[in-house]
Amino acid sequence: MHAYANPTRFLAIARPLTPWLLGVGLLLLLIGAWAGLTQVPGDYKQGETARILYVHVPSAWLGMGGWTALAITGLVQLVWRHPLAGIAARAVAVPGMLFTALCLATGSIWGKPTWGTWWEWDGRMTSMLVLLFLYAGFIALTSGDEGQRQGGSLSRGAAIYALVGAINIPIINRSVVWWNSLHQGPSITLGGSSIDNALLWPLGLTLLGFSFLFGAIVLMRMRRIIADNRVAARLRRLADDEGI
Amino acid sequence: MTGVISGGGQWGFVAAAYVLTAVLTGAVLLHSWRAMAKAERRSDALRKDRK
Repeated sequence: MHAYANPTRFLAIARPLTPWLLGVGLLLLLIGAWAGLTQVPGDYKQGETARILYVHVPSAWLGMGGWTALAITGLVQLVWRHPLAGIAARAVAVPGMLFTALCLATGSIWGKPTWGTWWEWDGRMTSMLVLLFLYAGFIALTSGDEGQRQGGSLSRGAAIYALVGAINIPIINRSVVWWNSLHQGPSITLGGSSIDNALLWPLGLTLLGFSFLFGAIVLMRMRRIIADNRVAARLRRLADDEGI
Repeated sequence: MTGVISGGGQWGFVAAAYVLTAVLTGAVLLHSWRAMAKAERRSDALRKDRK
């Protein structure tokens, strides 16, 4: 892992990987969305609105997965001071916030025809909204801070914030078990799925497709930060050479 | 239940969810791509100037 903490080695992998993740992700997503909209039957209870599942579940998965990645990079930054850990954390924050917002919005759109309301202050929805605010706080905390000027590393405060915020992830996951909720219980667990296979298979495609796109967005944002760092370093060297 | 919508009226909600997801994901994807390409062009240009 230490070997790939070097930005040059990282770029040698990230540059060819980015278009692959982008292309395969888009392809899987298009096939999954097409199948979810046209090839599977409506749910016997919820009717056509169950098709929102194919964009709502991947959004929830990536919103929570994004913060998990942020907490891991925060830990790596604190313990090993990897130069790429802070850059990765900064790159994950915006797509993580995007998918959390999409999870809330698509959930709300699903809730109106199914529950008769756009919003309910129950455990699942409220804890997901807290995650959105946590992302906003992290982005505000790391925008224009000292670490950004010093190669993209996180400040100690931002790394600890990422770690402490991770407490919300198991709360979101268990919220439908711990509290009474309009939201259905866990449909997919390690033990299996309560969703019929006739409806389930496009979800695998959209989950993979969105995950690949998320990876591509993170790699693009990391490459931008590394390129900006290199420009800043060269300008500093030029200024030193010319005695400015 | 009050306010529950069934039948053909549900398709509008499905379309709204898919369009919103496509537009927002596409916007972040495009912004990330353009920002990366611009930054890498600047970095490459500066490196060539140094040589």
